Amino acid sequence: MSGESLIRVSGLTREYRMGAETVHALRGVDMEIRRNEYLAIMGPSGSGKSTLMNLIGCLDSPTCGEYWLNGVEVSQMQDDELARVRNREIGFVFQTFNLLPRASALHNVELPLIYAGMSGRERRQHAARALERVGLADRMAHKPNELSGGQRQRVAIARALVNDPSILLADEPTGNLDSSTSAEIMAVFEELYRQGQTVVMVTHEADIASHARRVVTLLDGVVNSDTVREAA
Amino acid sequence: MTQLFEGVGIALTSLRASKARAALTILGVAIGVMVVVVIGSMITGINRGVEDIFNQLGPRTFFVFRYFSGGINVSDGSDEMSPWRRMPPLTLEEAIRIRELPSIQRVVTEEGSSGPVEYGSTKLDDVPILGRSPEWTIVSGGDVLPGRSYTRVESEASGRVVVVNEKLASELFGHVDPIGKWIRLHGVRHQVIGVHVPPPDIFGESNRPQAIIPHKTFEKYIPYWRGWMNFLVLPSEQVTVQAAIDDVTSVLRSMRGLRPAEENNFSVVTQDRLLDSWNQVTGMFFLVMLVLSSVGLMVGGVGVVAIMMISVTERTREIGVRKALGAKRREILWQFLVEAATLTLVGGAIGMVLGAVATEIVKAITSMPAAIPLFSVVAALAMSVFTGVVFGMYPAAKAARLDPVEALRYE
Repeated sequence: MSGESLIRVSGLTREYRMGAETVHALRGVDMEIRRNEYLAIMGPSGSGKSTLMNLIGCLDSPTCGEYWLNGVEVSQMQDDELARVRNREIGFVFQTFNLLPRASALHNVELPLIYAGMSGRERRQHAARALERVGLADRMAHKPNELSGGQRQRVAIARALVNDPSILLADEPTGNLDSSTSAEIMAVFEELYRQGQTVVMVTHEADIASHARRVVTLLDGVVNSDTVREAA
Repeated sequence: MTQLFEGVGIALTSLRASKARAALTILGVAIGVMVVVVIGSMITGINRGVEDIFNQLGPRTFFVFRYFSGGINVSDGSDEMSPWRRMPPLTLEEAIRIRELPSIQRVVTEEGSSGPVEYGSTKLDDVPILGRSPEWTIVSGGDVLPGRSYTRVESEASGRVVVVNEKLASELFGHVDPIGKWIRLHGVRHQVIGVHVPPPDIFGESNRPQAIIPHKTFEKYIPYWRGWMNFLVLPSEQVTVQAAIDDVTSVLRSMRGLRPAEENNFSVVTQDRLLDSWNQVTGMFFLVMLVLSSVGLMVGGVGVVAIMMISVTERTREIGVRKALGAKRREILWQFLVEAATLTLVGGAIGMVLGAVATEIVKAITSMPAAIPLFSVVAALAMSVFTGVVFGMYPAAKAARLDPVEALRYE
């Protein structure tokens, strides 16, 4: 377990107002993630793992506490700055893939590059390379509805990787896939991890989490356990 | 720039995805734009026609009217709203005195009416019939060919002779030579002695049949609204138009016994002024139509708001994804604005084409010289984009403000 610190959160708290009530989703999480870690965040529903993922993914800002990503404090950032960080540092993989249904696989992968301001030709080259990396070189022009579930999730992974993010952030990446396709996607993650990609995965399935090298369990908004597993 | 093209691409894709809805919205805008184009082309056409009519008169010819308002006039029958009641009709004596002025070359007296014109079994209704003094051929443009106009002698004798214009000749006689034929004007037999060919560039009035007869004959045989004689006055070569107008004004004032403080109770109008007031009238008409059609565009715009609101709601998740991938507020706003503007621009372009077709139809049916001016093409397209941006602003801002977490969770 080597590598410099990539993410450092301390006292991370997130509260929501639901009418008159205040929901404490996170009650002070302290955690450090190093470069080239393969981490799973687990926990029952309501444990705060989705909230933590949204905060790590810069989709949301904490009520209080600090979040340092790559040496930059992001917990104080405004909307558009957060959008920039998401674009440069984070690659999202969602449970429901979240591909644009009317756009080709290639165009879907191009999206982050559009928002990064890359020119058309360069963009297509990068996107094509990312699709090759996940084994979809021959499916670039296909629309999502012409692809299988596993292929769709590979497109989503290619999209997440295309900007060379610091973290690949996956939210229940196999939640909508059957077991053999799940194994296929986990193999892709394993390969990416081996190539040096930092992977953070949120899941409630123990066997999916078992692919990770380190498992953090949340309960009631705080870290319950943090186990590092030696390579199998 | 890349952003713009991206936006247009995204917009066209999402419009293609909801064709029927987009089509209806586009239709709303298209109708609005079509109205603008048709109205614009008709006004331009009418204006050109009018300018051509003036062009056929010598440029120095001016008019004396009993009353000229120089703009739109709505009468409610009261003296206030009908100032001509205090203005005596122009008389032949006045025409004769004006003619005697050294600064005046010609005076044509003119009165107008309309009525049925018959040749054999062919009958045309409501043909304009003009009574003019014999000098009209000098003041008016064009030629009388074949045949001739009437002489002073025929005129003084109230001779029942008529000069028909080309259009009336072709409608009445077809290929038969009209010269020497007898036609009935308001039931009274007149002999055709000439065909008036207007200058070739004029298309407004020449497209309507017209009969011209001696003024005295007109007064004797044709029913008309009395008291509305006009003078067409051609100044002498060596004086300015203004000098001639001054002379005419002072003669009329002295004949009518007006004191210095009193205003003229007649109107002397140059072609420039006539044209100005015509432009004023059409300008006002244009403004009214513009307002009406922008109301049409507003309706289209409300449609744009509706479709964009639905689009934003439906694509909440897409917006969430785009934000997760790094889209800033401005980029989301831009995407939806471009989408709205594309919608209205397509509507505008379709409306333009429909308007062009409608203009051609109007031209064919009414022989009105309609033409689409370039500015109205540019204006209509600019206006449709503007409509899109204005009405797209609210839904686009709503999309841009969406919280990414909420948006990604949206089902």
